[in-house]
Amino acid sequence: MSRRTLTGTGATPRSNIGTVVWYSPDVDLPDPDNVDVDPATERDRFEDAREAARSELESERERTAERVGEQEAEIFDAHLQFLDDPQIEDGVESAIEDGLPAEYAVQQAFADPIEQFEGMEGRMAERADDLRDVRDRLIRLIAGGERVDLGDLPEGAVVLAERLTPSDTAQLDPDRVAGFATVTGGRTSHAAIFARSLALPAVVGVGDELHDIDEGATVVVDGENGEIAVDPTDERREAASATHEVEIREEPVATADGTEIEIAANVGQPVELEGAKAQGADGIGLYRTEFLFLDREAPPDEDEQYETYVEALDMFPDGRIVVRTLDVGGDKPIPYLDLPDEENPFLGERGIRRSLGPDTDLFEAQLRALLRAAADSDGRLSVMFPLVATVEELDAALETVDAVAAALDEEGIDYAVPELGVMIETPAAVFAAPELAERVDFFSVGTNDLTQYIMAAARENENVADIRDPCQPSVLRAVAQAVEAAHENDTWIGMCGEMAGDPELTELLVGLGLDELSMSAVTVPEVKATVESVDTDEAAEQATRALEAATRDQVLERIQNNDS
Amino acid sequence: MSTERTVTVVPEAGLHARPAAKFVEAVNDHQSDVEIGRVDEDDLTPAGSMIAVTSLGVESGEDIRIVVDGPDEEATLDALERVLTTPEDELADANT
Repeated sequence: MSRRTLTGTGATPRSNIGTVVWYSPDVDLPDPDNVDVDPATERDRFEDAREAARSELESERERTAERVGEQEAEIFDAHLQFLDDPQIEDGVESAIEDGLPAEYAVQQAFADPIEQFEGMEGRMAERADDLRDVRDRLIRLIAGGERVDLGDLPEGAVVLAERLTPSDTAQLDPDRVAGFATVTGGRTSHAAIFARSLALPAVVGVGDELHDIDEGATVVVDGENGEIAVDPTDERREAASATHEVEIREEPVATADGTEIEIAANVGQPVELEGAKAQGADGIGLYRTEFLFLDREAPPDEDEQYETYVEALDMFPDGRIVVRTLDVGGDKPIPYLDLPDEENPFLGERGIRRSLGPDTDLFEAQLRALLRAAADSDGRLSVMFPLVATVEELDAALETVDAVAAALDEEGIDYAVPELGVMIETPAAVFAAPELAERVDFFSVGTNDLTQYIMAAARENENVADIRDPCQPSVLRAVAQAVEAAHENDTWIGMCGEMAGDPELTELLVGLGLDELSMSAVTVPEVKATVESVDTDEAAEQATRALEAATRDQVLERIQNNDS
Repeated sequence: MSTERTVTVVPEAGLHARPAAKFVEAVNDHQSDVEIGRVDEDDLTPAGSMIAVTSLGVESGEDIRIVVDGPDEEATLDALERVLTTPEDELADANT
C-alpha cells in the first residue's frame, strides 16, 4: 500500500515513525477437514498446547511484574486458572470424544462460558475478554500458529492490531516500540490510557481500513492528529521524529528570568499517576474522580475513596494534587445515579449542580474522604468544585465543607481542611470571578468547557471546531479577566484544559499570568522546556497584543511573530 | 461428613479476577472437595472452577457459605477464609 493516510482517534499528542509489525493473536480456523481423528492424538495435542500456554503465561506474568507492577501482573493468574478450569477440560474432552480435532474442541468448550459472561455487565463482561484471550492462545498453539512476541519486538516497531488487551499492552517495551494503532477502541480504552501514561504514540479506533496496511510497511503514527500515514513524505517523517525526544525535567521549572511556573498533569485513573511522575510533572493539576464512580453497581464508600486519595497524595509528597469533586451529568451514564434524560445535558444538571442537589450524600462522603486524606498524608491536597456558575453555589459548597469538618471533629476523626478552589469553566464564573476569588484559595481554568460555553459551540460537533478554539479573542479575554480577579485577591490560578498542554501557547499563557499549567502527562517535558525559554516581560507583551486582536487568525499571527 | 463455614467477602472487587484466581488456586491446592454458595440461596457451585466461581458474581460484603468434604477440611476452610477476608491490595503479599 502506498502513500495514504488513515484516521482514527489520537491517544497521545506524540508521533513517531516505524515499521509495521502485525499482531494478531486470533487464529482463523478453516472448516474442519472431514477426516478421521484419533481421540488419543487430539487429547495429546490439547495437553501439549495447554502446557505451552501455561509456560507462556508464566513468563508474561513475570515480565509484566517487572515492567509494570505486581498488581497488573495478576491478571495472568486469572488466565492461568481459566486455562485449568475443569469445565473447559470436560468440554474439550467430550468434544474430542465426539470426533472433533483439538482446536475445534477448544473453540466449542469456550463458546458457552464466553457467551454467558458476555451477557453480563461491567467486570463480568471483562471475564469474557479473559476467556477469549485464553481460548485464542490455545487455538494458536494447537494449530502451530506463530505469534509475535510483544515483549521482544524489533527496535522501532509500530504494532498494528485489531485490539490490544491489558495483558498485551503490559508486554510492550516503551523504549523499543515506536507506537501502536488499533482497529477498535476510543480515547478512554485501556490501550489509549496505557499509551498516555507511557507517552507512547498511538492511534486507536482506526477501523477495518487498518488491515490494508502490510507487514513491514513504513508508517508515521501521529497520536496528535489521530493519523496513520503510510509511506510518509519526507516532510512528515521529519516532523514525526522531531517530536519524539524531549528531556524530562524532574525539578520544578522557572522562566528565563526566574518566575516559577508549576507544571502539573491531568489524570483520570490512578494508573496514570505513575506516568505523570515519569514525565516529570510537579504534581496533579486535575485529578478527575469519576473513575471511582463509573462501571460499578453502587457508589464507592468513604474508606475506599480515602485510600485512593491518600495513595495519590503519597505519590507526590512534594507536589500538589488538585482533586476535582465528582463531575457527572452531561454524557456519563452511571447506573445507580438517577441521571435525568435531558435535551441539552451540557446545559443541564451536572457538576456542582448535582452535588448540591440529588447527589448531596455522595458529595458529603467524598468530602469526608478528602478531608481525612488531607490529614493523613504529607502531600498537599487541593479540592476543586466543577461547573460553578453562581456565588450561591460556591457558598453552599463551602458550607458543606464546614459541616463535614464539624462532623469529623465531633466524631474525633483526624481531618484537615485542604485548599479549596473553583473551576472556571462557565462564562458566569468569569463574570463573578472577583466575588469567587474572595472566597477561595485558587482557580483552575477549564478551557475545554469554557470555550464551548463562551463560543456556544458544542464539544463534540466537528462543524463548529474552528469556532470552538481557545485562541478566540473572546476566550483569551475571559481568561485574562479571571487571572486579574484571582491575583487581586491573592488567589493562585491554573489552567487544566487542553490549551495548557500546547507548547506553542505556553508563552501566551505565561504572559496572561497563569501560575500553574496542567496537561496530559506526555506534554509535560515539552512545556517545561518551553517555560525555561520564556521571558516574562516579552510574554506579557505578547499576551497584550493577543488580547487586542480582533480575530482568531490575528491572535495566531501575533503569537507566532512575537518579535514583530 | 462435610464441614461448612460462612465468610463475609472482604476484597473490594468481590470474587472477580484477582481474588477469584487466588480463591480457586487455594481450593485446588487442597485435597477436599469444595462447594460455595450465597447464604440465602440453596444452590452450591463447585469451587475448583474459575468459570463457576466468577460467574456467581459475588460482590464485596456478601456472605458466602463454603462447604468442604475431604481429608483436610479445617485446613481448606482456613485457607479459603484467609483469601476471602484479605483486602485486595494485601492479596499479593498474602500469597508470597
